[in-house]
Amino acid sequence: MFLRMVRGALFRQKSKMIMIAFTILLGASLATAMLNIMLDVGDKVNQELKAYGANITVVPKENSVINDIYELEGSENDTIKSAYLKEDEIGKIKTIFWTYNIVDFAPFIDQQVKIGGKDVTMVGTWFNHHLSLSTGEELDAGVTSLRSWWEITDGEWLDEQKDASGVMVGTLLANEQGINVGDSIKIDGSVSSKELKVVGIYDCGSDEDEQIYVPLDTAQEISGTDGLISSVEVSAITTPDNDLARRAAKDPSSLSIADYETWYCTAYVSSICYQIQEVMTDAVASPVRQVAESEGAIMEKTQLLMILITALSLVGSGLGISNLVTASVMERSNEIGLLKAIGAKDWAVSLLVLTEIMITAVVGGIIGYFVGYGFAQIIGHTVFDSSIDMKLLVIPIVIILILVVTLLGSIPAIRTLLKMKPAEVLHGR
Amino acid sequence: MSKRKMFFHMITASLMRRRSRMFVALLAIAVGATILSGLTTIYYDVPKQMGEQFRNYGANMIFVASAESEGLTMSDVEDALKEIPDEQKVGISPYRYETLSVNEQPVIIAGTDLEETKKTSPYWYVDGAWPEDNGQILVGKEMAATLSLNVGDALTITYSQAAMENPDQPEDVDRSLNEDAVNIEYTVSGILDTGGTEESYIFMSLADMGALTKEDEKIDVVELSISASGEELDGYVKNISKKVPQITPRLVKRVTQSETTVLTKLQSLVLLVTIVVLLLMMICVATTMMAVVTERRKEIGLRKALGASNKSIVREFMGEAMLLGGSGGLIGSILGFVFAQLVSMNVFNSTITFRPLLIPITIVAAVLVTALASLIPVRNATEVDPAIVLKGE
Repeated sequence: MFLRMVRGALFRQKSKMIMIAFTILLGASLATAMLNIMLDVGDKVNQELKAYGANITVVPKENSVINDIYELEGSENDTIKSAYLKEDEIGKIKTIFWTYNIVDFAPFIDQQVKIGGKDVTMVGTWFNHHLSLSTGEELDAGVTSLRSWWEITDGEWLDEQKDASGVMVGTLLANEQGINVGDSIKIDGSVSSKELKVVGIYDCGSDEDEQIYVPLDTAQEISGTDGLISSVEVSAITTPDNDLARRAAKDPSSLSIADYETWYCTAYVSSICYQIQEVMTDAVASPVRQVAESEGAIMEKTQLLMILITALSLVGSGLGISNLVTASVMERSNEIGLLKAIGAKDWAVSLLVLTEIMITAVVGGIIGYFVGYGFAQIIGHTVFDSSIDMKLLVIPIVIILILVVTLLGSIPAIRTLLKMKPAEVLHGR
Repeated sequence: MSKRKMFFHMITASLMRRRSRMFVALLAIAVGATILSGLTTIYYDVPKQMGEQFRNYGANMIFVASAESEGLTMSDVEDALKEIPDEQKVGISPYRYETLSVNEQPVIIAGTDLEETKKTSPYWYVDGAWPEDNGQILVGKEMAATLSLNVGDALTITYSQAAMENPDQPEDVDRSLNEDAVNIEYTVSGILDTGGTEESYIFMSLADMGALTKEDEKIDVVELSISASGEELDGYVKNISKKVPQITPRLVKRVTQSETTVLTKLQSLVLLVTIVVLLLMMICVATTMMAVVTERRKEIGLRKALGASNKSIVREFMGEAMLLGGSGGLIGSILGFVFAQLVSMNVFNSTITFRPLLIPITIVAAVLVTALASLIPVRNATEVDPAIVLKGE
């Protein structure tokens, strides 16, 4: 009998119930979309911030400052032996615990060379180097993506996979020496000299505008440093630093075992640095503060902003739903009065009304979840060109929100209706 | 009672009589309007507020001397700075680099305005303290390791004219013994950690640098941190190179390009979110209004039975809707500003710009949505024969 009454009410008042379900659907979809975006916005913004380039640099332990400065002074009699990293160890960076957080990296080797009798810094690096890792993963890494801010004023990016015998020249140097794309320039290194074709001229607004970039192999050949590199830049997705990360960055051995585990298994920039040091011999990995610090700040702000906007829309959809539920319950005063007049108990009436509303809410909520998920995907694709991850956490939050809001909307209305005398209600006040 | 007075009387009386129901409707409208005005304010303020966060990345423009000029001078720099509005300047730090010697080894020393450097390079981490007095220096981490320096240690820096003019002289000549050599002792007030090349330099104030080298006016480069969009920055670069030819302004592409990319994405994120939320809230407000009006079919029927024309009924309901929408919109636009202010204070620690234009826009939007949402059920009710409506379907 109860079921028949519920079914009767649902079908008799089809249009009204559809309207309630529709409002709940809207509220649920809004909540789903906002929660999904909020939970994923950190990762998405982090990906975007990769445009700022590497946030970790790896250098040899014995990197000699003095040597750098002698070079800057232009004296060639540096007898101090420079320290190098081994090129064949670079792939190991992709074997650490947080390997999936490492999105890009490139090795560098700097050498002073002469072009037309002038001292120039030549940088050897990967442009779009193709790596096949022992894990079976394949990726293209190098400065083409690590230096995304470079403006190629003439020519194009050097394509290592097609033709690895070119050179890219900084715009200041190119202007000064009258170098154009397509020219061949002779590079005199400490060991050998080589003639290379200019494939592109770049403008980046820093010292690099006075340098030349060549593929790593070429640079090693010119400077006689086969298999050696002087630094590696790594771009990793990291979690903003907290107190634990700061303590660990100073001295990981000072942590308790539990803290150490937490730190090691969280993608803090310091723990990723630590893990890189573990796999590369005689290397020091340190965060580039300019990038690492700012990333943390911007991500925190964006997340906080999204949390507050989400909170506002949750409150908004909550109020919207409970408003409509209240209005629709109040409307049914006649029916409730009649039920009471023919002897229905208060609890029976409440149960009947609540069941009806809940069934409507569940239907609306389920459809709303999927609609909202769709909205989140639209936003993800339009803004970030990638899909928003489905977070399971969202489902219970939306369910609780809908239940609480519907109950809050209907209970006060039902109570006021129950308090009225059936005769008054039926008479229409 | 005049006709107009009667009209207002009927509207207000109807609202007052059905106080609780009307409160529900008003609440829905106010929430919708709050979201409209709050999110729009945030949307317009995001580039400005976020732009300030992006200044964490440091300088986005540098001044260097043009090829034809002798070098940078403070007066040229000041002329150039006139092209940039004051409120956009976050920090301007002049730098001067000299290769001086410590223990007969050459080191790069940078003279700068340390107070301004704090603003242009907020990501610098100093172990110890920033130099406050003359005679204090900041030593890069790598340099400190090489020279085995700690916070509080003393360091003698030597400047000699001869060495400066002839840096290629053999290393074994003791530069500090030159007749014109200046030896000054400094205290290390802090060790600098940046993860960049700055770690191998020593930093001191321009005044100290001037005293050491007996040359005051020289500047090599000026770093500027400007809170402006990419296009504005391009404009400043053009203006400055035209008006002050001694200076070549250059954009730090790494910072400017990336900022434009990320900021555009963030703004379009907020825009899309705002549109979705607004769309849904409008429908929410509309359904609530429809429910509230549909309830009153009987009343409409009764009026028609008493001889009211369709037109007058529609007009009266519209009047009610406008009154509701207007007051809901007003409440909402105030609450929306409060919300936006709250967000701005919590997220960015700064106040939000008040946009007066948003108040009328919010009110008009609220009135339109409310009126349209009630028009549909009123139309339906007036088209039906009063007898049927009064009978109850």
